[in-house]
Amino acid sequence: MSDISRRKFLQTTSASALLLFSGLGRESQAASAQSYPSRKIGNIKNLKVNEQIAFTYPDDNSPCVLVNVGQEAFGGIGKGKSVVSFSTLCTHMGCPLTYSDGRLVCKCHYSMFDVSRNGQTYQGLASQWVAQVVLRLDAATGNIYAEGVEGLIYGRIGNLKLS
Amino acid sequence: MSLTKRKDTLPIPPVDAERYTTVCQYCSVGCGYNVFVWPEKRSGTAKSNAFHVDLSKQGQLMSGFSYTETMHNVITRKNGNRYNLAIIPAKESRINKGDYSIRGGTNALTAYTPTGVTKDRLKYPLLRKENGFVAISWDDAVEIIATLTKSSMDKYGADSVAMKFYDHGSSGLGFEDNWGAGKFFLSGVKTQYLSIHNRPAYNSEVWGSRERGMHELNYDVDDARLADTIVLWGANAYEGATVFYTEHIMPNLQGGSIDEKKREFASGEPAEEGRIVIIDPRKNATTTVSQDISAERVLHLRPNLGTDWILANALARIAWENNWYDKDYLQKRTDMKTFEDYKSKSLELAKPFAAFLADAEKITGVSRKEMEEAAAWIAKPKTGGFERRTLTLYEKGIIWNMKNYDQVAAIAQLNVLTHNVGRPGTGCGRLGGHQEGYVRPGAPTPGSIYAGGPPKNVDKYITGGGGKIYWVGATDPYLSTPNSKFFKKSVKKRANNLLDYLDNGGIPSDPKAYVAKVLEAYEKTDGLFMIVQDIYKTHTSEDAMLILPAAGWGEAVDTSINCHSRLLRIYDKFMDAPGEALPDWKILALVGNKIKALYTADGNKEMAARFSGMEWKTDAEVFADGAQEFGDNRATETEEARLSAECYKGVTHAMLRKLGNEGIQTPVRQDPATGKLVGTKRRYQYSFASKDGLFKWYGTDAWTGYPAEIAKYINNPTYPFWFTTGRSQHVWQTMYHDKRIPEKLMTVPLPYLEIHPDDAGKLNLKTGDMAEVFNEEGSCLALVYVNDATKPGLVFGIMYHAKGTMNNLTSSYTDPKTTIPWYKGTKVGVKKYNGKLDDAIKTVSLLSNNDFRTQ
Repeated sequence: MSDISRRKFLQTTSASALLLFSGLGRESQAASAQSYPSRKIGNIKNLKVNEQIAFTYPDDNSPCVLVNVGQEAFGGIGKGKSVVSFSTLCTHMGCPLTYSDGRLVCKCHYSMFDVSRNGQTYQGLASQWVAQVVLRLDAATGNIYAEGVEGLIYGRIGNLKLS
Repeated sequence: MSLTKRKDTLPIPPVDAERYTTVCQYCSVGCGYNVFVWPEKRSGTAKSNAFHVDLSKQGQLMSGFSYTETMHNVITRKNGNRYNLAIIPAKESRINKGDYSIRGGTNALTAYTPTGVTKDRLKYPLLRKENGFVAISWDDAVEIIATLTKSSMDKYGADSVAMKFYDHGSSGLGFEDNWGAGKFFLSGVKTQYLSIHNRPAYNSEVWGSRERGMHELNYDVDDARLADTIVLWGANAYEGATVFYTEHIMPNLQGGSIDEKKREFASGEPAEEGRIVIIDPRKNATTTVSQDISAERVLHLRPNLGTDWILANALARIAWENNWYDKDYLQKRTDMKTFEDYKSKSLELAKPFAAFLADAEKITGVSRKEMEEAAAWIAKPKTGGFERRTLTLYEKGIIWNMKNYDQVAAIAQLNVLTHNVGRPGTGCGRLGGHQEGYVRPGAPTPGSIYAGGPPKNVDKYITGGGGKIYWVGATDPYLSTPNSKFFKKSVKKRANNLLDYLDNGGIPSDPKAYVAKVLEAYEKTDGLFMIVQDIYKTHTSEDAMLILPAAGWGEAVDTSINCHSRLLRIYDKFMDAPGEALPDWKILALVGNKIKALYTADGNKEMAARFSGMEWKTDAEVFADGAQEFGDNRATETEEARLSAECYKGVTHAMLRKLGNEGIQTPVRQDPATGKLVGTKRRYQYSFASKDGLFKWYGTDAWTGYPAEIAKYINNPTYPFWFTTGRSQHVWQTMYHDKRIPEKLMTVPLPYLEIHPDDAGKLNLKTGDMAEVFNEEGSCLALVYVNDATKPGLVFGIMYHAKGTMNNLTSSYTDPKTTIPWYKGTKVGVKKYNGKLDDAIKTVSLLSNNDFRTQ
């Protein structure tokens, strides 16, 4: 993509995605080389349909989103199995993904991923489905914990292998 | 939790990993790729590796380096050892610049592995016996085919052998395999019953342009970034030629190529963001992506099916009335004698302008306002009087339209009238489907009905009882030929008649006895001996008598050109073919050499000579031998038009290996001054490819309605919907590889139908339901998507799918001028199917694939 396309893309990308890209993630901690960390990322009681929580996981350089999609989804937690979480780095060429209407959309090359279907690329260029964050719900408190990532985060040789 | 096996770490190639250059095996774009192979147990490090990328850092967006889960596999070589295989997009390729599509991004997954999804690759020749197929030796297979072919030719004539083979590049094919097939069938057998991959005859799909003196691949990828206006006519670039759209069209629409325009354009010439005219009955993803980028710079015209040439002539007439053409150019570069015919029949100058446009509106369904706007975007000079630069690319929506010849000719002529050929930012031709790699001895039918044609319809010949041997190579006509149900039924019946005869008393194992019994059957039955040569079993091969295992992409050295720059590159061999699979040229050479030996033993020198010249030992020898077909290519820059579009004479495999992703653009000429080989960036700047160098005009036919095969449905309430077909971005052709890749099959699990909400409401259909699509030719069960891609009254289906083909519904109509079918239009009924396929519905996405909007 040419420089101007990149600028154009930055102009059209949502503010939340850019915020993530600039390195939000106060809660993050150094990823263990051995196993995925467990990190509290939200609480199910407060998570309304289509509400998003941005966080980074397993380290500061990996923006993710937690969302209640309002319908049963693969890997979903909660009463309706509707709360899921994904990496928001497009698996095609690493651009930020925006959550909207049940899918993650990349405005660089228009790949779209269905968050109810395991992050499946249902349209666009990304040959790898987007990486899904493994969630655990603490039934007593309603706290949601990120505890792993299934699939490779874009731009990495290993999800936990950044120096 | 995952629907598929996922990885969260990838092996790293050590610095000394084997490295090869290749080009994607799929679409017309031909993205460059680099291949790395290294022993499974060895590893590079994050800092020191064959990618020469620091892998210890988070990769940045659009860096041009991508290495994802789908780009890695583990293969086993003939030495019994396992190796890592990484196939990654080439950043240094000017075609893709590190970009890739969902097709090319899965190249590594298609590699043969003995335990993975490709484990059912064909490994040995298979002969059909009483209880199914059994593996036999190449010696026996070659003897059966050679003896049977010779006997059939001797007894029933050359036309008793019919074939349906690819003629293209990529997909593990190229100039080498085309030359092999060409030598065997065109020089050796010399049958008239030849047909090209999916279609019923042996023909160009663009004789309407070629017979004007204009080959369809005349532009460069740069022209898509330089154009003031891009016209995509029946050409869904975002989904079909994806990276050409994202790397060359999209930056132009975004204004990313204005600096390039300023460098290339005349002094003072306006250079701004590009515009795009999309002519397609569907609001496809190309349209909606373009609209998301810049809605005011997108014009979408939706003509009635089959009427595009009337629309092209109307746009030309508007340009004519507004004097948006260069008279000097027309006089200097085009044939003014035939121009009179064009003026009278295509522009219909005798008919008053208003009446002409009123007729065009009525036929095409496109309003006068839309036509005038499109004509202005294509042809109206820019501020300061500078000629507009328009690149017009058409594809299956045009070539597989009703009246193939006139459709293509009308668009070619619109572009020459408005001087939109031979200048930077212009061009007129195919977007392309696959890559190309055609080099063959002369075909029996040189052209359309106006140039020695039309060619024979092999489907009609075979279904009508003609032919004794039918050899099918790298194509699956049971899915892909038009009117496929009838075709399949007829071939199956003839194949079974042969099998029944052979089975009576047992099928001999000895090749001589076997052939003798087949010859006996020929006398007693209408039996057809079908040979299928492919990399997997196909839908068609279920009725073959013999299946031959072919080598695939990366298993032999191939060469092809892409469509958007005619860029010739090497597709190097990086792994072994499974079992005893062989490259196609080698299979044909084995049989050809055997037939030659049989004729020599008979003392028949004339026939032996026809099958000589196939004694090649290597891929490089076949490539060099084919080059002789191009004749003398010493030419200056201004003489390029007389060279064949794919001429590569003088180029060798060694040279291409050195050029790597840079390649060289055909036609390659030998410069008379320097003796050096020089590529051709853009064509027809100085003259056209006719004998006198002038563009030849042609007066197109008037509108006379639909052919009988379709007319029977019009006003029949049982078949209220117009029906058109197309492709999905995810899956390539018949899904021969993709149906084995779980991610692809989950995304496109079934044939699908798109229907407008107004029509869906009346039929009580919603997204995720199943519907039966039917007409008198056949039927298909499809998954329903309700969306606004189609208009009310029009439904769209995926052309073919491993689990059902919509070509059951297409008619047997072909253009009488070219024998090219109208794949893209017929009429159907649609009804709800009440059965449920819960498993597929659970994993498929039901979101609409033409809606890219975000809140």
